[in-house]
Amino acid sequence: MKLSELFDKSEFVVTGEVGPVKGAIPRDKDYVPPCMAEALHLEKKVHAINVTDNQSAVMKLGSMAASVKLKQNGFEPIYQITCRDRNRIALQSEILTAFSLGVDNMLLLTGDHTNLGDHIEAKPVFDLDSVQLVKIAADLQKGKDMVGNDLLNAPDFFIGAVVNPNFQPLDLQLIKMKKKIEAGAQFFQTQAVYEDSVIDQFVAKTELFDCPVQLGVVVLKNPAMGKYMNNYISGISVPQKWINEIGSVDKADRKKKSAEMMGRFIRKHKDKFQGVHIMPLGWTDIVPDILEYAEINVNGGIK
Amino acid sequence: MHATIQKPVEEIVKHIKPGEKVFVVGCNNCAWKCHSGGEDETKAMSERLEKRGIEISGYTVPGPQGMSLCKLDHTTKVLKTEYDEQLKNTDSFLVLGCGQGVHTVIDATDGGMVHPGCDTIFGGETVSESEINEYCSLCGECIIEFTGGLCPLTLCAKSLLNGPCGGAENGKCEVDADRNCGWIMIYDRLMKLGRLDLIESYQKPKNHAKWSRPRSLKVSHHKASFSSMAGTVTVSNID
Repeated sequence: MKLSELFDKSEFVVTGEVGPVKGAIPRDKDYVPPCMAEALHLEKKVHAINVTDNQSAVMKLGSMAASVKLKQNGFEPIYQITCRDRNRIALQSEILTAFSLGVDNMLLLTGDHTNLGDHIEAKPVFDLDSVQLVKIAADLQKGKDMVGNDLLNAPDFFIGAVVNPNFQPLDLQLIKMKKKIEAGAQFFQTQAVYEDSVIDQFVAKTELFDCPVQLGVVVLKNPAMGKYMNNYISGISVPQKWINEIGSVDKADRKKKSAEMMGRFIRKHKDKFQGVHIMPLGWTDIVPDILEYAEINVNGGIK
Repeated sequence: MHATIQKPVEEIVKHIKPGEKVFVVGCNNCAWKCHSGGEDETKAMSERLEKRGIEISGYTVPGPQGMSLCKLDHTTKVLKTEYDEQLKNTDSFLVLGCGQGVHTVIDATDGGMVHPGCDTIFGGETVSESEINEYCSLCGECIIEFTGGLCPLTLCAKSLLNGPCGGAENGKCEVDADRNCGWIMIYDRLMKLGRLDLIESYQKPKNHAKWSRPRSLKVSHHKASFSSMAGTVTVSNID
């Protein structure tokens, strides 16, 4: 199911996220890979699940394999694909392959630099940038590859892109967001935001863009994670009051507290967006509680 | 200019065989500016190698300051006329210059054995006597008309052509907190120039065939032809 079906009906679109493992999926049919185990917590709670593509430039199982595995098990994957590891031939081919294997939604990103990951001597490809990738994906849907050759059977999928409301100067980030929309982006997920003022500034400047946007939130698990993100994760800023609040309870109560904090934040801002994208970083089990605190019911959801 | 940095002397020594007679050649242009192969460094390298038991048959930096080693006719003339005797007693050349200079020595010595004494690191601007910075990637397809003269291919760690990724913080790049975000530099410059409109249009993907190596340039007084895998482009510099 393309998420456009939901956005077109003005449904508030809720998505989660899982990361493939560093390793393979064994042939044992009874084996449940971690990404699947995480996804099971999201059953009937979200509309679709992002599958990250070698996130933070750390080499893992491919997002295609994990996306297909989710699809085979009744979940709706959002296949993430970055420009970091593939040239234009591979990117187009992967998009055709993903659609052919049942993927209906794709999120097209630049990708974190190789320097941030576990293979820092790798050649960063970046043959295309994310705007170009979005345009090329849109061209594929029109039955043409990027050099104009005809395709036998055009793919038909929903094109997602990302934007970072935390970026300063915001106007520069929004120039790129507009270019993505002009290139063919059909929905956006934002980078994780924690500050009310950042949201308000972003919404004020983008409300006329006429493209659905999901607010992105990363589940804050503990004070150390907040400090780590501030120090090492580019483009995300966690205010001290968030760090203090998650640190105000014992470790055993952190999941409950986190669900309350994330849910409260989403509830406060949900009316400004067309959906929410929750990045639980392994804590998918608290996503149902987050949604309850946020007073969001996806009305059936997936599976 | 081609920025170069000397390889560690112990690494250079590792590749020189026992008894091998080495002639050291520097470059009096780029390598001189980089203190990697000017007159002082070439003489010093000869002495450092001798100190490590390597037989030095001679050394030179062909031409006056400002003369490039990679000017083949000049380098050939200097080596073959001024150092003819030493070259007869030479097994190999240690070149303190860029990769182009190394190849120039091969050509100038009719295929002599060479050792690179430097790593060639980038093409750069000599900002001051102590600082050389990279502003151009020599891609063969200049797009800086649209960025106020600042190259995103070079200044952005991801070589993005249509705007920044989301990773910069406080104006710094996600790969290095000491490195400015190239796209914020472009934005600030165009803002000052009142030309932000330049980055609002879509930039198509690079033609990497123009970046395919090796490339060549044939020049005459009024005409130049650039050949790459993208084909040959010939332009005239007169009406």
